[in-house]
Amino acid sequence: MKFSLPCQALILAGLSLLPGVGQAIYFRDKISWQSPIPPSEMVSVDQAREWGDNTIWIDARPDDQFARDHVPGAILLNEDRWNELLPQFLAVWSPGKKIVVYCSAQSCDLAREVAERLRKEAQLTDVFVLEGGWEAWVKKNRS
Amino acid sequence: MKTNILTLTLSFIFCLTARAELKWEQTAVELHPARGDKQAIGHYKYQNVGKTPVHFKSVHASCGCTAAQSQKDQVGPGEKGEITATFNIGDRTGTQVKTVTVETDEAANQKTVLTLKAIIPQELEISPTFVFWKQGEKPDPKTITVHAGKDFSVKNIKVTSSSPDFQTKVQETGEGQFKVDVRPNETSRLLASTLTIQSENSPKTFYATARITTAPTAPGAPAIQKAPGAPGAPAAPTAPARPPAPGSQTH
Repeated sequence: MKFSLPCQALILAGLSLLPGVGQAIYFRDKISWQSPIPPSEMVSVDQAREWGDNTIWIDARPDDQFARDHVPGAILLNEDRWNELLPQFLAVWSPGKKIVVYCSAQSCDLAREVAERLRKEAQLTDVFVLEGGWEAWVKKNRS
Repeated sequence: MKTNILTLTLSFIFCLTARAELKWEQTAVELHPARGDKQAIGHYKYQNVGKTPVHFKSVHASCGCTAAQSQKDQVGPGEKGEITATFNIGDRTGTQVKTVTVETDEAANQKTVLTLKAIIPQELEISPTFVFWKQGEKPDPKTITVHAGKDFSVKNIKVTSSSPDFQTKVQETGEGQFKVDVRPNETSRLLASTLTIQSENSPKTFYATARITTAPTAPGAPAIQKAPGAPGAPAAPTAPARPPAPGSQTH
């Protein structure tokens, strides 16, 4: 039996897929299939900057990181002390304000989780997650 | 040609059968912390089944709320060990999934993702946790619904407002389900209150916030928002002071 070169390539490509498919099936319940944040719920540093005073910045990182440095005027709101910090944020919120939540970097989950709780539990609208997080803000504003 | 295919297939099968030196007992754990637990700890055991030592290059948690620790930096052939992931629950609720990425110098499998799933019991579900009226708005009551979480039985709840400017009325609407009507006495002033919600036979306290806010500012108009504590601004409603979260955060 003779196979052409493209045919051989296809066979090998098919074979190479097998372990991946096998792992995906085997670990299907064990992997965190984190849903990505919809683009409509994200905002870039530039866009958030354009909103100016109409923005409330929320720092979702742990207390020590907030204490080290944060976006000027940002309010600390993390899930470690949610019950204590939420009323402090709600005291400065007013209708029509846009809320921009950030954590360390693009890969962190904290901002997404805080934004989700603000939407679901406090039923606030106009809640956005900052693309690239604190890292992106520093890059745009301090370099 | 036949030989070519055979060689390629054999080398492919060889690659498939070559396994990582570090063999994990499990890479995913599901934890069910009890009510009041402050932390949930996941243990991930491994053994070096290879013939050469394995070095950990990094152990990194996906969230600042999780601290990951390795017992050792190097694992000799045949040696066993474990990575622990300590998840600080804080005020988190529901199902939480955190990951720890372990990087080693193994040739075949340099990166392993360990998953920690913690299902935090939620005694009361409150929705919404925030009600507000715009300044000058009619002071009609707004409703907060409270219901017992899965596996919890709640027969009665008590709601207390931190400010006498807001009145609350609790009504049972079903088994473990309640309706809390919140009404401000007036909306001409900027006011705020923390509503403390407690179920009977439970030491845990839940919170909601009620506020009279300023009307929204027109786009482009100068911001008139006042900081809490400023004249005319509402005082931030206060929740009871709590000790800070443990500082063993990594990210």
